[in-house]
Amino acid sequence: MDYRRTFWEKLKTGRLWLQYCPSCTRYVFYPRERCPYCWESDLDWQPLSGLGRVYSYTVVRVSALPEFQPPYVYALVDLDEGVRLATNIEDCPLDCIEVGMPVRLKTINREDHEALPVFVPL
Amino acid sequence: MGRCEAIISGISELVPVLDAGGRRTLDFLAEAAALAVEDAGLSKDEIDGLLVTPPSEDTYFLWPSQVAECLQLTPAFMNMVELGGASAVAAVARAKLMVEAGICRHCLCLSGGVWDAQVFNTRANKTAVMSQAEIDYELPYGPMGFNSGYALIARRHMNQYGTTPEQLAKIAVDQRTNALANSQALFNTQPLTIQAVLNSKVIVDPLHLLEIVRPCSGAAAVVVSRSDEDCDWPHHPVNIPGFGEAYTHNSIPYAPELTLSPVKMASQRAFQMAGRSPRDIDLVSLYDCYTITVLISLEDAGFCPKGSGGRFVADTDLTYNGDLPCNTHGGQLSCGQASFAGGMSHVIEAVRQLRGEAGPRQVRKNRLALVNGNGGVMSTQSCLILGRK
Repeated sequence: MDYRRTFWEKLKTGRLWLQYCPSCTRYVFYPRERCPYCWESDLDWQPLSGLGRVYSYTVVRVSALPEFQPPYVYALVDLDEGVRLATNIEDCPLDCIEVGMPVRLKTINREDHEALPVFVPL
Repeated sequence: MGRCEAIISGISELVPVLDAGGRRTLDFLAEAAALAVEDAGLSKDEIDGLLVTPPSEDTYFLWPSQVAECLQLTPAFMNMVELGGASAVAAVARAKLMVEAGICRHCLCLSGGVWDAQVFNTRANKTAVMSQAEIDYELPYGPMGFNSGYALIARRHMNQYGTTPEQLAKIAVDQRTNALANSQALFNTQPLTIQAVLNSKVIVDPLHLLEIVRPCSGAAAVVVSRSDEDCDWPHHPVNIPGFGEAYTHNSIPYAPELTLSPVKMASQRAFQMAGRSPRDIDLVSLYDCYTITVLISLEDAGFCPKGSGGRFVADTDLTYNGDLPCNTHGGQLSCGQASFAGGMSHVIEAVRQLRGEAGPRQVRKNRLALVNGNGGVMSTQSCLILGRK
């Protein structure tokens, strides 16, 4: 199974799907062949609520990547299902972003990603 | 034969430069090696152990072998230590182990690299230091490498504990005061003020330009030797009563917590091995790629309670004249970060201080130092406790 491909393909449903380990009942991110917690190899894919909170963020003011025009928000979001991931916070004025702010998933088309998961204020 | 003890017998550090002038990593390493072996009062042929940190621009392939060939060394043991910014400190720890195990008698720890402005900010260079997971699941969001990782930590610390930009800036200010007494520092002509730090450009909020390390070129070396009773070293020997390491994550989304780092476990292990506590420490050399790195390290190494680091650095004189001398050479924030040798600068400054050879910035109490090397985004941690024998 090409888990990297599966991750991006499933996002085209408009929802975020992650691997889930039935053995230790935890979600796994990033995708891989074996559960990192209990080393079990039988992982399922399950859809998530898409809800979470901003764990931390930074406003990038100087960018070294030409395709990213500052300012923009690079953030870590804690999903309700107990997974933390890097993302952008979109559709939100820069001075309104706070640690702990509730957010929800939105998939956008960017560069070579047809459905890239970002987060917007709830 | 009793248990032998490893000591630091020789050190060297090249003056950091912004323009390498066409010199390669191997050229810098050779110069640092020659100076460190001379400092130890040894000859090249006595070196029988070699530990190197990775090159900045050459291929990693068989790197220790490349270095040994270039320097015409034929060690009984060699290896590359790749733990990011912690590599240099970790090399010294490994040298101690090899010497005390009787594998080699004089182990040369070599670190250095070349900074090239044409390469540094390219996409290829950025992805070259990323894992596949980072390329797949972080790069699509425009991370600014280590800058954004440490910014996330700083933001979280401010939110969780009320740490202020002024408190973080104070670290850069005190280290600059130290650098003014270091003729080798890259930035040693102008004192800094908290306001000047806060007036410098915000790169990744909340981190300002003057809170971020300046990459440069250079090299540094340490010789770790077997100490025999009848040995007469040219400089006062420095021993390594403790070391400790800890690792919890590679990339920052997978750190258990942003504001509690593996420095805690690494330093506890080092203190336990040495039978010492933070109260016994006279000076600290803490990896300082950013101001927040120093603040988190001070908390986690036990110099102040978790969350009070901001108040602690504001109330504590961190200069060579102060209550807790910290990065008395000016740290990487004022000396520059000569690739992997940036982490070696902390070891070398601690040795200078413990030998009593720090000149105008010599600290008054110099029995015991804590050194920390940090790699990634508070990822790999290696702590040394160094003592004046």
